[in-house]
Amino acid sequence: MKKFLLITLLLVSVPAWLAAADAPKKVIAISGGRLLTVSHGTIENGVLLIADGKITAVGEADKVSIPAGAEIVDAHGLTVYPGLIDPESNFGLTEVSADQNSNDLAEPSDEIMPHMHVADAFHAETELIPVARLNGITNAVVAPATSDTIAGQDIFIQLYGVDRDQMILGRDVALAMNYGADQRRRGGRGGKTEYPSTRMGLITQLRQTFLDVQDYQARRDAAAKKDDKAFKRDLKLEALIPYLKGERPVVIGVYEAYDVEVIMGLANEFHLKVILNHVTHSQEILDKIAAYKVPVIIGSIYDFPSANERYDAVFTLPAELAKRGVKIAISSADAGGPASSHSARNLPYAAGFAVAYGLPYDEALKAITLNVAEMFGFGDKLGSLDVGKWANIVLSNGDPLDVRTDVKQVYIQGVAVPMVSRQTKLRDEYSK
Amino acid sequence: MLGCAILATASFAFTARAQQTPPTDLVFKNATVMTASHGTIEHGSVWVHAGKIAAVGATVDAPASATVVDATGLWLTPGIIDPHSHSALDGDVNEATSPVTPSMHMIDAFDNRDKALYQALAGGVTTELLLHGSANMIGGQAVVIKNKFGLDRDAMIFPNAPGSIKFASGENPKRVYGSRDQLPSTRMGNFEVMRMAFEDAKAYMGTWDAYNAKVAKGDKDAVAPKRDLKLEALADVLRGKLYVQIHCYRADEFLTEEAIAKEYGYKIRAFHHALEMYKVADKIAADQTAIATFTDWWGFKDEAWDAIPWNAVMSMRKGVKVALKSDSNDHIRRLNQEAGKMIHYGGASEDEAIRMVTLNPAWIIGVDDKTGSIDVGKDADLVLWNHDPLSTYARAQKVYIDGDLFFDASLPGLGTTHFTGVMHDAGGFGSDDEEDGQ
Repeated sequence: MKKFLLITLLLVSVPAWLAAADAPKKVIAISGGRLLTVSHGTIENGVLLIADGKITAVGEADKVSIPAGAEIVDAHGLTVYPGLIDPESNFGLTEVSADQNSNDLAEPSDEIMPHMHVADAFHAETELIPVARLNGITNAVVAPATSDTIAGQDIFIQLYGVDRDQMILGRDVALAMNYGADQRRRGGRGGKTEYPSTRMGLITQLRQTFLDVQDYQARRDAAAKKDDKAFKRDLKLEALIPYLKGERPVVIGVYEAYDVEVIMGLANEFHLKVILNHVTHSQEILDKIAAYKVPVIIGSIYDFPSANERYDAVFTLPAELAKRGVKIAISSADAGGPASSHSARNLPYAAGFAVAYGLPYDEALKAITLNVAEMFGFGDKLGSLDVGKWANIVLSNGDPLDVRTDVKQVYIQGVAVPMVSRQTKLRDEYSK
Repeated sequence: MLGCAILATASFAFTARAQQTPPTDLVFKNATVMTASHGTIEHGSVWVHAGKIAAVGATVDAPASATVVDATGLWLTPGIIDPHSHSALDGDVNEATSPVTPSMHMIDAFDNRDKALYQALAGGVTTELLLHGSANMIGGQAVVIKNKFGLDRDAMIFPNAPGSIKFASGENPKRVYGSRDQLPSTRMGNFEVMRMAFEDAKAYMGTWDAYNAKVAKGDKDAVAPKRDLKLEALADVLRGKLYVQIHCYRADEFLTEEAIAKEYGYKIRAFHHALEMYKVADKIAADQTAIATFTDWWGFKDEAWDAIPWNAVMSMRKGVKVALKSDSNDHIRRLNQEAGKMIHYGGASEDEAIRMVTLNPAWIIGVDDKTGSIDVGKDADLVLWNHDPLSTYARAQKVYIDGDLFFDASLPGLGTTHFTGVMHDAGGFGSDDEEDGQ
């Protein structure tokens, strides 16, 4: 009976609140809160104005005038900050991890799969998104799983909208690459060992692929000049062209120091625009990583140190990289590699843990907001409380990075998102 | 298979320290003392004598000879207790060759040099219940350890801790045996396998009772039945000699498990995972069965689909004793944070939250008379933190077990005080679902 009621509730309520996703025209004034702007410090008693889904004013209470007729949200005692952005997730690519029918995580048929578009699989109505949203995650990069050296192309999403068209803010925003022991075809997929079964094989295959793309591009351009109708497009090779031109970032997931050195050698050979990802066992080359002058996503901060390595060898990594001037982001990945975004709601705690191990607080907040936005091309629209940016805003009862803090309200493009998930509905149903 | 074992270089420096005996008297002064049993004492002191807590309060009458630890600006809590760990077993957690293996003893697989123990120690964990996995309906007997990393195996076994036996239910047994077209392949099969095992045990007990009655009557020709380790272990369950710890997710299965327990006359000490307890908490509270649950894991399989992070506090409010557990070599390192989440998810008080990772798991293991709170007479299993342990920011600074310092973050190298040599690395994540014997 309870289950039946619940299903009825879902059917009735979902269309009602999704309809609210159109940005309201009236001005919203979030007044009296502690504003963590990310870009220009903390404003203790601040006012933030939202109109047409954008931030139109940010400042101290006595310096921002609230227009007549504005909807005033009393934020006294609350902390106000930009929506959090997860730099690596699998939102919409999985529902129940153990249920293969609900998983669209990676295409195992080949190692080089740049023509796999996450946008094509993204299930906008996944239950994982409202769960994460309730903890202040408003945006995310969605990437394929890491089994292939070139796994596909990422999307950049917002965690609210009527459908996937509204939620996907950017298609093919980055190429998902991976390099290391896990990508070797050694005893995987039904126990078969096949090429490339070694790091030598992986690198040679990548280099050949990039050369093939350059060759393809030349032939394609020549065919276009001749208006050759018989020219057959190769979607796989074509997908890599913008990345070999350095137009879009390539996110390279790599863990061990020597693997970082090898893959960066290849990336520089082809002038890729690199974002390094994971790097959790590269402590001995931190200066070198800084010298690459590429941004770095750290995930998981909870990765296990090796035997006889100090317990906090990975916990201190964000602090060590930031200290060397590296632009860092922190992901919600679990220990042992990027796991499922069921736990993406814990993203702020990973950043807080980095603070516990030496990362300055402001850097930690940046690592899950502005830095991520900038890495993926949304730095002018998201990631800080600045005039002109989209109003993705979180109101909480305290420090956003603390496990004890409760998020009270989330705004996405100026819409006050209903603070409901499948889980709150179960909670409320069984609290009666 | 052992993973890479790397030679320690840094740790050899501490060989000399390993020979030291702990001070007879130790006093922590001016700490925020979170007792877990009777609230928090600001600027409190704790006197440790011969490894036991001798006094706790605003002031204590320790002898002048006592070693003083100035804990100004620090927090002192009982050692963190994990009632569900698979650490340090090299993956030997399921004898998944039969669904009923009660005579398998976890202690036989315990590897006291596993790096997971060290990493847990650095997170303030002083006691762990090392449990079987969940491939089998009745997996075997657990071992309780004190995390005295660096001492030998025998010295790490919790003295006089009661025995626990691990049962499972639900998806894992039916998947493991179902994939081989064996019984059990369904939840029907799961529970019937248990009932059949207990019928065997009852008949075995009857055989022994008959023999003992003959002996009591002076029958010199009575022939003793053959001892059967499996049936003896099950008989110990029916005689109430073992704490029954059951891996179980779904609400209907809690009720079935309680019904079978009543049918055969044993008590269930705790349901582990217990993600749907919030649906039937009032009934389970009446049976005095506790839960050891995750805070916010969900969706990893079908039986975890209705998991909600409010489960722990909702169940607690209905009268269920609630502990948080790791089931993970990762989360075991920050169970204090998991406790902090309970303030967020359901509004637990600080006292209630800290009890979920100290006194309540101690009760589940059956060692709450010895550890789990800062009370006079208990083992001095204590953690000094640099920040509120319920926050994201706390780091364990010093970890004491039986009054002896085992971890000190201020030391260079590993921070261990007793460990020398080589750590082992079993690899993996150390969770039920990973070690399911497939």
